[in-house]
Amino acid sequence: MSTAVKNQLRVCLLAIKYNIMREMLNRVTFLTNIGFMILNNATFILQWMILFHIKEDIGGYTMREVMLLWGLAASTFGLSRIFFARAFSLPDLIVSGKLDSYLVQPKNVLLSVITSATNTSAIGDLLYGLILLCVFCFSLKRLFLFLLFTVTGAVILAAFALLLGSLSFWFLRADAFAQHLMNSFISFSTYPDGIFHGAARFLLYQVLPVGMVIYRPVHVMVDFDMGSLARILAYTVLICALAATVFYRGLRRYASSNLMEARM
Amino acid sequence: MNVIEAENLAKTFRVRQKEKGMKGSLQAILRPRIKEVQAVDGISFSVEAGEMLAFIGPNGAGKSTTIKMLTGILYPDGGRANVLGIDPAKQRKRLAYEIGTVFGQKEQLWTHLTPYDNFRFFGAIYDSPDRETESRIRELADTFELGSFLNTPVRNLSLGQRIRCEIVASLIHRPKVLFLDEPTIGLDPVVKENIRALIKQMNRELGTTIFLTSHDVGDIEKLCRRIIIVNSGRIVLDDSMDHLKHHYLNRKIVEAKLGEETALPAAEGITLLKQKGSQVRFQVDTGRLPINEALHLIDAENLEDINISNIPLETIITDIYKAEGREEKAV
Repeated sequence: MSTAVKNQLRVCLLAIKYNIMREMLNRVTFLTNIGFMILNNATFILQWMILFHIKEDIGGYTMREVMLLWGLAASTFGLSRIFFARAFSLPDLIVSGKLDSYLVQPKNVLLSVITSATNTSAIGDLLYGLILLCVFCFSLKRLFLFLLFTVTGAVILAAFALLLGSLSFWFLRADAFAQHLMNSFISFSTYPDGIFHGAARFLLYQVLPVGMVIYRPVHVMVDFDMGSLARILAYTVLICALAATVFYRGLRRYASSNLMEARM
Repeated sequence: MNVIEAENLAKTFRVRQKEKGMKGSLQAILRPRIKEVQAVDGISFSVEAGEMLAFIGPNGAGKSTTIKMLTGILYPDGGRANVLGIDPAKQRKRLAYEIGTVFGQKEQLWTHLTPYDNFRFFGAIYDSPDRETESRIRELADTFELGSFLNTPVRNLSLGQRIRCEIVASLIHRPKVLFLDEPTIGLDPVVKENIRALIKQMNRELGTTIFLTSHDVGDIEKLCRRIIIVNSGRIVLDDSMDHLKHHYLNRKIVEAKLGEETALPAAEGITLLKQKGSQVRFQVDTGRLPINEALHLIDAENLEDINISNIPLETIITDIYKAEGREEKAV
Protein backbone atom coordinates (compact mmCIF):
# COMPACT_ATOMS: atom_id res chain seq x y z
CA MET A 1 0.00 0.00 0.00
CA SER A 2 1.48 3.36 -0.95
CA THR A 3 2.35 5.89 1.76
CA ALA A 4 -0.20 8.36 0.38
CA VAL A 5 -3.02 5.80 0.68
CA LYS A 6 -1.85 4.82 4.18
CA ASN A 7 -1.80 8.48 5.26
CA GLN A 8 -5.23 9.06 3.76
CA LEU A 9 -6.63 6.04 5.60
CA ARG A 10 -4.98 7.20 8.82
CA VAL A 11 -6.73 10.59 8.56
CA CYS A 12 -10.11 9.01 7.68
CA LEU A 13 -9.92 6.57 10.60
CA LEU A 14 -8.84 9.38 12.94
CA ALA A 15 -11.81 11.48 11.77
CA ILE A 16 -14.20 8.56 12.38
CA LYS A 17 -12.66 7.96 15.81
CA TYR A 18 -13.10 11.64 16.74
CA ASN A 19 -16.68 11.58 15.45
CA ILE A 20 -17.56 8.62 17.63
CA MET A 21 -15.76 10.28 20.57
CA ARG A 22 -18.00 13.31 20.07
CA GLU A 23 -21.13 11.17 20.06
CA MET A 24 -19.96 9.47 23.25
CA LEU A 25 -19.62 12.78 25.09
CA ASN A 26 -23.09 12.22 26.50
CA ARG A 27 -23.15 8.59 27.58
CA VAL A 28 -26.91 8.45 28.25
CA THR A 29 -27.89 9.93 24.88
CA PHE A 30 -25.36 7.72 23.14
CA LEU A 31 -26.70 4.49 24.65
CA THR A 32 -30.40 5.39 24.43
CA ASN A 33 -30.00 6.38 20.76
CA ILE A 34 -28.59 2.95 19.98
CA GLY A 35 -31.11 1.10 22.18
CA PHE A 36 -34.17 2.89 20.83
CA MET A 37 -33.09 2.36 17.24
CA ILE A 38 -32.90 -1.40 17.86
CA LEU A 39 -36.31 -1.30 19.59
CA ASN A 40 -37.82 0.81 16.81
CA ASN A 41 -36.63 -1.66 14.17
CA ALA A 42 -37.80 -4.65 16.22
CA THR A 43 -41.44 -3.52 16.12
CA PHE A 44 -41.54 -4.49 12.44
CA ILE A 45 -40.84 -8.15 13.31
CA LEU A 46 -44.29 -8.34 14.86
CA GLN A 47 -45.88 -6.87 11.72
CA TRP A 48 -44.21 -9.50 9.54
CA MET A 49 -45.09 -12.35 11.94
CA ILE A 50 -48.78 -11.38 11.61
CA LEU A 51 -48.50 -11.20 7.81
CA PHE A 52 -46.83 -14.62 7.58
CA HIS A 53 -49.49 -16.05 9.90
CA ILE A 54 -52.07 -15.07 7.27
CA LYS A 55 -50.00 -16.07 4.20
CA GLU A 56 -47.07 -18.50 4.09
CA ASP A 57 -45.25 -16.94 1.15
CA ILE A 58 -45.01 -13.24 0.27
CA GLY A 59 -43.37 -12.44 -3.06
CA GLY A 60 -41.40 -15.70 -2.88
CA TYR A 61 -40.04 -14.87 0.61
CA THR A 62 -40.63 -16.75 3.86
CA MET A 63 -40.29 -15.18 7.32
CA ARG A 64 -36.62 -16.25 7.45
CA GLU A 65 -35.78 -14.48 4.18
CA VAL A 66 -37.68 -11.34 5.09
CA MET A 67 -35.70 -11.17 8.33
CA LEU A 68 -32.51 -11.61 6.32
CA LEU A 69 -33.64 -8.77 4.04
CA TRP A 70 -34.45 -6.55 7.02
CA GLY A 71 -31.20 -7.42 8.70
CA LEU A 72 -29.14 -6.58 5.65
CA ALA A 73 -31.08 -3.34 5.03
CA ALA A 74 -30.58 -2.21 8.64
CA SER A 75 -26.88 -3.13 8.81
CA THR A 76 -26.11 -1.61 5.40
CA PHE A 77 -27.86 1.62 6.25
CA GLY A 78 -26.21 1.64 9.69
CA LEU A 79 -22.67 1.07 8.44
CA SER A 80 -23.11 3.71 5.76
CA ARG A 81 -24.26 6.27 8.32
CA ILE A 82 -21.50 5.40 10.79
CA PHE A 83 -18.66 5.85 8.32
CA PHE A 84 -20.03 8.11 5.59
CA ALA A 85 -22.77 10.16 7.29
CA ARG A 86 -21.69 13.38 5.59
CA ALA A 87 -22.42 11.90 2.15
CA PHE A 88 -26.09 12.16 3.12
CA SER A 89 -25.88 15.87 3.98
CA LEU A 90 -23.65 16.91 1.09
CA PRO A 91 -26.17 19.40 -0.40
CA ASP A 92 -26.03 21.50 2.77
CA LEU A 93 -22.22 21.57 2.67
CA ILE A 94 -22.26 22.66 -0.96
CA VAL A 95 -24.98 25.29 -0.73
CA SER A 96 -23.66 26.80 2.52
CA GLY A 97 -20.06 26.82 1.28
CA LYS A 98 -18.80 24.50 4.00
CA LEU A 99 -16.29 22.60 1.87
CA ASP A 100 -13.57 25.23 2.31
CA SER A 101 -11.87 23.63 5.30
CA TYR A 102 -11.54 20.33 3.41
CA LEU A 103 -10.23 22.01 0.27
CA VAL A 104 -7.25 23.57 2.04
CA GLN A 105 -6.10 20.20 3.36
CA PRO A 106 -3.60 18.10 1.40
CA LYS A 107 -5.92 15.13 1.37
CA ASN A 108 -8.61 13.64 -0.85
CA VAL A 109 -11.52 16.08 -0.48
CA LEU A 110 -14.17 13.48 -1.16
CA LEU A 111 -13.00 11.02 1.51
CA SER A 112 -12.31 13.79 4.02
CA VAL A 113 -15.81 15.19 3.56
CA ILE A 114 -17.83 11.99 3.71
CA THR A 115 -16.00 10.63 6.77
CA SER A 116 -16.28 13.90 8.70
CA ALA A 117 -19.46 13.00 10.62
CA THR A 118 -21.16 10.00 12.14
CA ASN A 119 -24.63 9.06 13.33
CA THR A 120 -25.03 7.38 16.70
CA SER A 121 -28.38 5.70 16.07
CA ALA A 122 -26.79 4.03 13.04
CA ILE A 123 -24.82 1.84 15.46
CA GLY A 124 -28.22 0.52 16.59
CA ASP A 125 -29.12 -0.26 12.96
CA LEU A 126 -25.87 -2.12 12.40
CA LEU A 127 -26.27 -4.22 15.57
CA TYR A 128 -29.95 -4.90 14.84
CA GLY A 129 -29.09 -6.38 11.44
CA LEU A 130 -26.51 -8.71 12.98
CA ILE A 131 -28.93 -9.76 15.73
CA LEU A 132 -31.57 -10.66 13.11
CA LEU A 133 -29.05 -12.74 11.19
CA CYS A 134 -27.98 -14.58 14.32
CA VAL A 135 -31.54 -15.22 15.52
CA PHE A 136 -33.26 -16.18 12.27
CA CYS A 137 -30.77 -17.63 9.81
CA PHE A 138 -27.24 -17.99 11.12
CA SER A 139 -24.49 -19.93 9.36
CA LEU A 140 -20.79 -19.11 9.10
CA LYS A 141 -20.93 -18.83 5.32
CA ARG A 142 -23.97 -16.57 5.57
CA LEU A 143 -22.29 -14.42 8.21
CA PHE A 144 -19.30 -13.93 5.94
CA LEU A 145 -21.52 -13.02 2.97
CA PHE A 146 -23.68 -10.81 5.19
CA LEU A 147 -20.63 -8.83 6.33
CA LEU A 148 -19.34 -8.55 2.77
CA PHE A 149 -22.70 -7.32 1.46
CA THR A 150 -23.05 -4.93 4.38
CA VAL A 151 -19.78 -3.32 3.28
CA THR A 152 -20.62 -3.27 -0.46
CA GLY A 153 -24.14 -2.01 0.34
CA ALA A 154 -22.83 0.75 2.63
CA VAL A 155 -20.39 1.86 -0.05
CA ILE A 156 -23.04 1.79 -2.81
CA LEU A 157 -25.48 3.69 -0.60
CA ALA A 158 -22.89 6.36 0.23
CA ALA A 159 -21.93 6.62 -3.46
CA PHE A 160 -25.60 6.96 -4.41
CA ALA A 161 -26.09 9.69 -1.78
CA LEU A 162 -22.94 11.40 -3.04
CA LEU A 163 -24.17 11.22 -6.61
CA LEU A 164 -27.51 12.78 -5.71
CA GLY A 165 -25.94 15.28 -3.32
CA SER A 166 -23.47 16.44 -5.97
CA LEU A 167 -26.41 17.66 -8.07
CA SER A 168 -26.46 20.63 -5.67
CA PHE A 169 -23.37 21.93 -7.47
CA TRP A 170 -25.69 22.52 -10.44
CA PHE A 171 -29.20 22.89 -8.97
CA LEU A 172 -30.10 24.93 -5.92
CA ARG A 173 -32.77 22.69 -4.37
CA ALA A 174 -31.41 19.36 -5.53
CA ASP A 175 -31.39 18.31 -1.87
CA ALA A 176 -35.19 17.81 -1.93
CA PHE A 177 -34.92 15.52 -4.98
CA ALA A 178 -32.05 13.61 -3.35
CA GLN A 179 -34.05 13.23 -0.15
CA HIS A 180 -37.08 11.81 -2.02
CA LEU A 181 -34.95 9.22 -3.79
CA MET A 182 -33.19 8.22 -0.57
CA ASN A 183 -36.53 7.85 1.22
CA SER A 184 -37.82 5.70 -1.66
CA PHE A 185 -34.70 3.58 -1.36
CA ILE A 186 -35.30 2.95 2.34
CA SER A 187 -39.02 2.17 1.86
CA PHE A 188 -38.46 -0.30 -0.98
CA SER A 189 -35.51 -2.01 0.67
CA THR A 190 -37.68 -3.53 3.42
CA TYR A 191 -40.14 -5.37 1.15
CA PRO A 192 -39.55 -8.62 -0.82
CA ASP A 193 -38.66 -7.83 -4.42
CA GLY A 194 -41.05 -10.53 -5.64
CA ILE A 195 -44.05 -8.27 -4.96
CA PHE A 196 -42.80 -5.66 -7.46
CA HIS A 197 -43.36 -6.04 -11.20
CA GLY A 198 -42.98 -4.03 -14.41
CA ALA A 199 -41.98 -0.40 -13.99
CA ALA A 200 -41.49 -0.72 -10.22
CA ARG A 201 -39.06 -3.61 -10.71
CA PHE A 202 -37.19 -1.65 -13.40
CA LEU A 203 -36.95 1.29 -10.99
CA LEU A 204 -35.58 -0.88 -8.18
CA TYR A 205 -32.95 -2.59 -10.28
CA GLN A 206 -31.98 0.15 -12.72
CA VAL A 207 -32.60 3.56 -11.08
CA LEU A 208 -32.44 3.08 -7.31
CA PRO A 209 -29.61 0.75 -6.33
CA VAL A 210 -31.91 -1.33 -4.05
CA GLY A 211 -31.42 -4.35 -6.28
CA MET A 212 -27.63 -4.30 -5.87
CA VAL A 213 -27.62 -3.29 -2.21
CA ILE A 214 -30.36 -5.58 -0.86
CA TYR A 215 -32.25 -7.94 -3.22
CA ARG A 216 -29.43 -9.54 -5.17
CA PRO A 217 -27.27 -10.02 -2.02
CA VAL A 218 -30.23 -11.66 -0.25
CA HIS A 219 -30.64 -14.04 -3.20
CA VAL A 220 -26.92 -14.85 -3.06
CA MET A 221 -27.09 -15.53 0.67
CA VAL A 222 -30.09 -17.85 0.21
CA ASP A 223 -28.84 -19.55 -2.93
CA PHE A 224 -25.15 -18.79 -3.64
CA ASP A 225 -24.37 -17.66 -7.19
CA MET A 226 -20.85 -16.53 -8.18
CA GLY A 227 -22.11 -14.53 -11.19
CA SER A 228 -24.39 -12.40 -9.01
CA LEU A 229 -21.61 -11.84 -6.49
CA ALA A 230 -19.28 -10.65 -9.27
CA ARG A 231 -21.99 -8.33 -10.61
CA ILE A 232 -22.49 -6.79 -7.16
CA LEU A 233 -18.76 -6.19 -6.73
CA ALA A 234 -18.44 -4.71 -10.23
CA TYR A 235 -21.46 -2.46 -9.62
CA THR A 236 -19.88 -1.22 -6.36
CA VAL A 237 -16.72 -0.18 -8.19
CA LEU A 238 -18.68 1.41 -11.04
CA ILE A 239 -21.02 3.51 -8.90
CA CYS A 240 -18.06 4.70 -6.79
CA ALA A 241 -16.21 5.79 -9.92
CA LEU A 242 -19.32 7.53 -11.26
CA ALA A 243 -20.05 9.31 -7.96
CA ALA A 244 -16.43 10.49 -7.64
CA THR A 245 -16.43 11.76 -11.25
CA VAL A 246 -19.66 13.71 -10.78
CA PHE A 247 -18.46 15.11 -7.43
CA TYR A 248 -15.17 16.37 -8.84
CA ARG A 249 -16.88 17.80 -11.93
CA GLY A 250 -19.25 19.63 -9.62
CA LEU A 251 -16.46 20.82 -7.37
CA ARG A 252 -15.23 23.04 -10.19
CA ARG A 253 -18.52 24.93 -9.83
CA TYR A 254 -18.24 25.24 -6.04
CA ALA A 255 -18.87 28.85 -5.06
CA SER A 256 -18.00 28.79 -1.33
CA SER A 257 -19.58 31.50 0.87
CA ASN A 258 -18.74 33.85 3.67
CA LEU A 259 -21.31 32.57 6.14
CA MET A 260 -20.10 32.35 9.71
CA GLU A 261 -19.64 28.70 10.58
CA ALA A 262 -18.09 26.32 13.04
CA ARG A 263 -16.97 22.77 12.56
CA MET A 264 -19.37 20.84 14.81
CA MET B 1 11.76 36.03 -5.22
CA ASN B 2 8.01 36.08 -5.79
CA VAL B 3 6.03 33.48 -3.85
CA ILE B 4 2.60 34.60 -5.04
CA GLU B 5 1.78 35.71 -8.54
CA ALA B 6 -1.65 36.56 -9.92
CA GLU B 7 -2.11 37.51 -13.53
CA ASN B 8 -5.47 38.80 -14.77
CA LEU B 9 -7.17 36.61 -12.21
CA ALA B 10 -10.96 36.65 -12.62
CA LYS B 11 -13.97 35.01 -11.06
CA THR B 12 -17.65 35.42 -11.89
CA PHE B 13 -20.51 34.11 -9.81
CA ARG B 14 -23.96 33.37 -11.21
CA VAL B 15 -26.51 34.60 -8.72
CA ARG B 16 -30.21 33.77 -8.96
CA GLN B 17 -32.45 36.85 -8.83
CA LYS B 18 -35.94 36.92 -7.37
CA GLU B 19 -38.59 39.62 -7.17
CA LYS B 20 -40.15 40.17 -3.77
CA GLY B 21 -43.09 38.16 -2.42
CA MET B 22 -44.90 35.02 -3.57
CA LYS B 23 -45.41 36.42 -7.07
CA GLY B 24 -41.66 36.80 -7.38
CA SER B 25 -41.15 33.21 -6.20
CA LEU B 26 -43.58 31.92 -8.83
CA GLN B 27 -41.88 34.00 -11.53
CA ALA B 28 -38.50 32.63 -10.42
CA ILE B 29 -39.78 29.07 -11.00
CA LEU B 30 -41.23 29.82 -14.44
CA ARG B 31 -38.62 32.28 -15.69
CA PRO B 32 -35.50 32.12 -13.54
CA ARG B 33 -33.30 35.19 -13.83
CA ILE B 34 -29.60 34.77 -13.34
CA LYS B 35 -27.31 37.70 -12.73
CA GLU B 36 -23.60 37.45 -13.29
CA VAL B 37 -21.52 39.08 -10.59
CA GLN B 38 -17.91 39.79 -11.41
CA ALA B 39 -16.34 39.15 -7.99
CA VAL B 40 -12.74 39.44 -9.21
CA ASP B 41 -12.15 41.33 -12.40
CA GLY B 42 -8.72 40.57 -13.86
CA ILE B 43 -6.40 41.49 -11.03
CA SER B 44 -2.62 41.14 -11.24
CA PHE B 45 -0.07 41.41 -8.45
CA SER B 46 2.87 39.59 -6.91
CA VAL B 47 4.13 39.05 -3.38
CA GLU B 48 7.75 38.50 -2.40
CA ALA B 49 9.00 35.87 0.04
CA GLY B 50 8.83 37.08 3.67
CA GLU B 51 6.57 40.00 2.78
CA MET B 52 3.55 40.99 4.89
CA LEU B 53 0.89 42.14 2.49
CA ALA B 54 -2.45 43.65 3.39
CA PHE B 55 -5.16 42.90 0.87
CA ILE B 56 -8.07 45.05 1.84
CA GLY B 57 -11.33 46.41 0.57
CA PRO B 58 -14.97 46.87 1.57
CA ASN B 59 -17.52 44.05 1.72
CA GLY B 60 -17.95 42.36 -1.66
CA ALA B 61 -14.70 43.83 -2.99
CA GLY B 62 -13.32 40.40 -3.95
CA LYS B 63 -10.80 39.87 -1.14
CA SER B 64 -12.02 36.47 0.05
CA THR B 65 -12.66 35.28 -3.50
CA THR B 66 -9.06 36.13 -4.40
CA ILE B 67 -7.69 34.33 -1.34
CA LYS B 68 -9.88 31.32 -2.16
CA MET B 69 -8.52 31.19 -5.71
CA LEU B 70 -4.95 31.44 -4.40
CA THR B 71 -5.51 28.58 -1.96
CA GLY B 72 -7.25 26.28 -4.45
CA ILE B 73 -10.74 26.50 -2.92
CA LEU B 74 -12.22 28.20 -5.98
CA TYR B 75 -11.41 27.68 -9.64
CA PRO B 76 -10.66 30.94 -11.45
CA ASP B 77 -12.72 31.75 -14.56
CA GLY B 78 -9.85 33.62 -16.13
CA GLY B 79 -6.19 34.47 -15.72
CA ARG B 80 -3.70 32.42 -13.76
CA ALA B 81 -2.42 32.12 -10.23
CA ASN B 82 0.85 30.75 -8.99
CA VAL B 83 1.77 30.20 -5.35
CA LEU B 84 5.29 28.93 -4.59
CA GLY B 85 5.53 27.82 -8.21
CA ILE B 86 2.33 25.74 -7.92
CA ASP B 87 -0.94 26.31 -9.77
CA PRO B 88 -3.62 26.20 -7.02
CA ALA B 89 -6.35 25.07 -9.44
CA LYS B 90 -4.33 22.15 -10.78
CA GLN B 91 -2.23 21.02 -7.78
CA ARG B 92 -4.39 21.86 -4.80
CA LYS B 93 -3.10 19.02 -2.59
CA ARG B 94 0.56 19.75 -3.31
CA LEU B 95 0.03 23.40 -2.53
CA ALA B 96 -1.81 22.62 0.71
CA TYR B 97 1.41 21.13 2.17
CA GLU B 98 3.16 24.48 1.64
CA ILE B 99 0.56 26.99 2.80
CA GLY B 100 -1.53 27.69 5.87
CA THR B 101 -4.96 29.29 5.96
CA VAL B 102 -6.98 30.96 8.68
CA PHE B 103 -10.50 32.10 7.95
CA GLY B 104 -11.74 34.31 10.77
CA GLN B 105 -15.33 33.54 9.81
CA LYS B 106 -14.91 29.79 9.40
CA GLU B 107 -13.66 27.48 12.06
CA GLN B 108 -11.44 24.61 11.01
CA LEU B 109 -11.08 23.14 14.48
CA TRP B 110 -13.35 20.42 15.84
CA THR B 111 -15.24 22.16 18.62
CA HIS B 112 -15.71 19.09 20.85
CA LEU B 113 -12.02 18.26 20.85
CA THR B 114 -9.28 19.98 22.82
CA PRO B 115 -6.76 22.14 20.94
CA TYR B 116 -4.18 19.40 21.63
CA ASP B 117 -6.29 16.70 19.93
CA ASN B 118 -7.05 19.08 17.07
CA PHE B 119 -3.35 19.75 16.53
CA ARG B 120 -2.66 16.00 16.54
CA PHE B 121 -5.35 15.62 13.88
CA PHE B 122 -3.85 18.41 11.79
CA GLY B 123 -0.43 16.77 12.19
CA ALA B 124 -1.91 13.58 10.68
CA ILE B 125 -3.49 15.59 7.85
CA TYR B 126 -0.06 16.92 6.94
CA ASP B 127 1.55 13.44 7.26
CA SER B 128 3.70 14.59 10.12
CA PRO B 129 5.10 11.77 12.33
CA ASP B 130 3.60 11.75 15.85
CA ARG B 131 6.88 12.65 17.54
CA GLU B 132 7.43 15.64 15.27
CA THR B 133 3.83 16.82 15.77
CA GLU B 134 4.32 16.59 19.55
CA SER B 135 7.42 18.76 19.53
CA ARG B 136 5.78 21.23 17.13
CA ILE B 137 2.73 21.50 19.41
CA ARG B 138 4.99 22.23 22.40
CA GLU B 139 6.92 24.84 20.44
CA LEU B 140 3.81 26.63 19.14
CA ALA B 141 1.94 26.34 22.45
CA ASP B 142 4.86 28.22 24.02
CA THR B 143 4.97 30.92 21.37
CA PHE B 144 1.20 31.45 21.33
CA GLU B 145 0.80 30.94 25.10
CA LEU B 146 -1.78 28.16 24.82
CA GLY B 147 -0.55 26.24 27.89
CA SER B 148 -3.48 27.09 30.16
CA PHE B 149 -6.18 25.89 27.74
CA LEU B 150 -4.42 23.30 25.59
CA ASN B 151 -6.60 20.57 27.09
CA THR B 152 -9.91 22.46 27.23
CA PRO B 153 -12.49 21.62 24.53
CA VAL B 154 -12.48 24.26 21.81
CA ARG B 155 -16.17 25.02 22.34
CA ASN B 156 -15.34 26.29 25.84
CA LEU B 157 -12.65 28.72 24.67
CA SER B 158 -13.06 32.46 24.21
CA LEU B 159 -13.06 33.81 20.66
CA GLY B 160 -9.52 35.17 21.06
CA GLN B 161 -8.23 31.82 22.35
CA ARG B 162 -9.94 30.04 19.45
CA ILE B 163 -8.35 32.29 16.86
CA ARG B 164 -4.93 31.69 18.44
CA CYS B 165 -5.61 27.95 18.18
CA GLU B 166 -6.77 28.34 14.56
CA ILE B 167 -3.49 30.08 13.73
CA VAL B 168 -1.46 27.39 15.50
CA ALA B 169 -3.38 24.65 13.63
CA SER B 170 -2.47 26.35 10.37
CA LEU B 171 1.21 26.44 11.37
CA ILE B 172 1.63 22.80 12.42
CA HIS B 173 3.24 21.90 9.08
CA ARG B 174 5.55 24.95 8.93
CA PRO B 175 3.89 26.65 5.93
CA LYS B 176 5.91 29.03 3.82
CA VAL B 177 2.92 31.27 3.11
CA LEU B 178 0.10 32.02 5.52
CA PHE B 179 -3.23 33.32 4.24
CA LEU B 180 -5.20 35.14 6.92
CA ASP B 181 -8.74 36.08 5.97
CA GLU B 182 -10.13 38.54 8.53
CA PRO B 183 -8.28 36.90 11.46
CA THR B 184 -9.33 39.58 13.96
CA ILE B 185 -13.02 39.76 13.07
CA GLY B 186 -15.20 40.04 16.17
CA LEU B 187 -12.27 40.32 18.59
CA ASP B 188 -11.91 42.98 21.26
CA PRO B 189 -9.07 45.53 20.94
CA VAL B 190 -6.79 43.81 23.50
CA VAL B 191 -7.06 40.40 21.83
CA LYS B 192 -6.64 42.01 18.40
CA GLU B 193 -3.41 43.58 19.57
CA ASN B 194 -2.24 40.23 20.90
CA ILE B 195 -2.98 38.42 17.64
CA ARG B 196 -1.22 41.13 15.64
CA ALA B 197 1.90 40.82 17.82
CA LEU B 198 1.94 37.05 17.26
CA ILE B 199 1.57 37.38 13.50
CA LYS B 200 4.39 39.89 13.46
CA GLN B 201 6.59 37.63 15.55
CA MET B 202 5.90 34.69 13.23
CA ASN B 203 6.88 36.71 10.20
CA ARG B 204 10.03 38.00 11.87
CA GLU B 205 11.23 34.72 13.37
CA LEU B 206 10.11 32.18 10.77
CA GLY B 207 10.18 34.35 7.67
CA THR B 208 6.62 33.27 6.84
CA THR B 209 5.04 35.28 4.04
CA ILE B 210 1.77 36.78 5.28
CA PHE B 211 -1.16 37.50 2.99
CA LEU B 212 -3.72 39.30 5.11
CA THR B 213 -7.22 40.43 4.29
CA SER B 214 -8.99 42.58 6.79
CA HIS B 215 -11.59 45.25 7.22
CA ASP B 216 -9.71 46.66 10.12
CA VAL B 217 -7.43 49.54 9.21
CA GLY B 218 -5.64 48.92 12.54
CA ASP B 219 -4.59 45.41 11.43
CA ILE B 220 -3.06 46.78 8.30
CA GLU B 221 -1.41 49.81 9.86
CA LYS B 222 0.28 47.74 12.52
CA LEU B 223 1.26 44.70 10.51
CA CYS B 224 1.95 45.35 6.88
CA ARG B 225 4.57 47.17 4.90
CA ARG B 226 2.65 46.94 1.66
CA ILE B 227 -1.01 47.29 0.90
CA ILE B 228 -3.29 46.40 -1.97
CA ILE B 229 -6.75 47.93 -1.93
CA VAL B 230 -9.44 46.24 -4.01
CA ASN B 231 -12.89 47.41 -4.83
CA SER B 232 -15.50 45.87 -7.13
CA GLY B 233 -13.02 43.12 -7.98
CA ARG B 234 -10.28 45.49 -9.16
CA ILE B 235 -7.09 46.78 -7.63
CA VAL B 236 -7.42 50.48 -6.85
CA LEU B 237 -4.12 50.88 -5.04
CA ASP B 238 -0.92 48.86 -4.70
CA ASP B 239 1.50 50.86 -2.61
CA SER B 240 3.74 50.95 0.43
CA MET B 241 2.20 51.42 3.86
CA ASP B 242 4.35 54.50 4.45
CA HIS B 243 2.95 56.17 1.37
CA LEU B 244 -0.61 55.27 2.26
CA LYS B 245 -0.18 56.51 5.82
CA HIS B 246 1.19 59.78 4.57
CA HIS B 247 -1.62 60.32 2.09
CA TYR B 248 -4.70 58.60 3.45
CA LEU B 249 -4.33 57.37 7.02
CA ASN B 250 -3.33 60.72 8.44
CA ARG B 251 -6.82 61.57 9.50
CA LYS B 252 -8.67 60.60 12.66
CA ILE B 253 -12.33 61.06 13.42
CA VAL B 254 -13.04 62.37 16.91
CA GLU B 255 -16.54 62.12 18.36
CA ALA B 256 -16.98 63.90 21.68
CA LYS B 257 -19.91 64.36 24.01
CA LEU B 258 -19.58 67.54 26.01
CA GLY B 259 -21.24 68.51 29.27
CA GLU B 260 -22.29 71.88 27.89
CA GLU B 261 -22.65 73.02 24.32
CA THR B 262 -19.37 74.69 23.38
CA ALA B 263 -18.01 75.76 20.00
CA LEU B 264 -14.90 73.94 18.88
CA PRO B 265 -11.97 76.38 18.62
CA ALA B 266 -10.76 76.81 15.05
CA ALA B 267 -7.31 75.35 14.41
CA GLU B 268 -5.25 74.28 11.44
CA GLY B 269 -5.77 70.57 10.74
CA ILE B 270 -9.22 70.41 12.32
CA THR B 271 -12.37 70.10 10.22
CA LEU B 272 -15.72 70.21 11.95
CA LEU B 273 -17.92 67.48 10.47
CA LYS B 274 -21.03 67.78 12.61
CA GLN B 275 -22.20 69.51 15.74
CA LYS B 276 -25.59 68.85 17.26
CA GLY B 277 -26.12 70.29 20.73
CA SER B 278 -23.37 69.00 22.96
CA GLN B 279 -22.32 66.29 20.49
CA VAL B 280 -19.44 67.22 18.22
CA ARG B 281 -17.75 65.25 15.44
CA PHE B 282 -14.57 66.50 13.82
CA GLN B 283 -11.69 65.30 11.69
CA VAL B 284 -8.05 65.77 12.66
CA ASP B 285 -5.35 65.85 10.00
CA THR B 286 -2.53 64.36 12.09
CA GLY B 287 -0.01 65.45 9.50
CA ARG B 288 -0.73 69.05 10.40
CA LEU B 289 -1.86 68.71 14.00
CA PRO B 290 -0.85 65.80 16.24
CA ILE B 291 -3.84 64.07 17.82
CA ASN B 292 -2.73 64.90 21.39
CA GLU B 293 -2.63 68.60 20.53
CA ALA B 294 -6.05 68.36 18.90
CA LEU B 295 -7.45 66.84 22.08
CA HIS B 296 -6.09 69.73 24.11
CA LEU B 297 -8.54 71.97 22.24
CA ILE B 298 -11.37 70.27 24.11
CA ASP B 299 -11.96 71.39 27.65
CA ALA B 300 -11.26 68.20 29.65
CA GLU B 301 -13.54 69.36 32.48
CA ASN B 302 -16.43 69.63 30.03
CA LEU B 303 -15.82 66.23 28.37
CA GLU B 304 -18.29 63.41 29.12
CA ASP B 305 -17.34 60.84 26.49
CA ILE B 306 -14.94 60.55 23.56
CA ASN B 307 -14.29 58.15 20.69
CA ILE B 308 -11.36 58.33 18.27
CA SER B 309 -11.39 56.23 15.12
CA ASN B 310 -9.64 55.90 11.79
CA ILE B 311 -11.46 57.17 8.76
CA PRO B 312 -13.52 54.34 7.24
CA LEU B 313 -11.95 52.26 4.51
CA GLU B 314 -14.77 53.26 2.18
CA THR B 315 -13.74 56.93 2.56
CA ILE B 316 -10.13 56.06 1.75
CA ILE B 317 -11.24 54.26 -1.39
CA THR B 318 -13.43 57.18 -2.42
CA ASP B 319 -10.47 59.52 -1.90
CA ILE B 320 -8.23 57.28 -4.01
CA TYR B 321 -10.78 57.29 -6.81
CA LYS B 322 -11.14 61.06 -6.59
CA ALA B 323 -7.38 61.48 -6.62
CA GLU B 324 -7.21 59.46 -9.81
CA GLY B 325 -10.11 61.38 -11.31
CA ARG B 326 -12.40 58.38 -11.45
CA GLU B 327 -15.93 57.86 -10.31
CA GLU B 328 -16.39 55.13 -7.75
CA LYS B 329 -18.49 52.29 -8.96
CA ALA B 330 -21.25 50.99 -6.75
CA VAL B 331 -19.96 48.20 -4.48
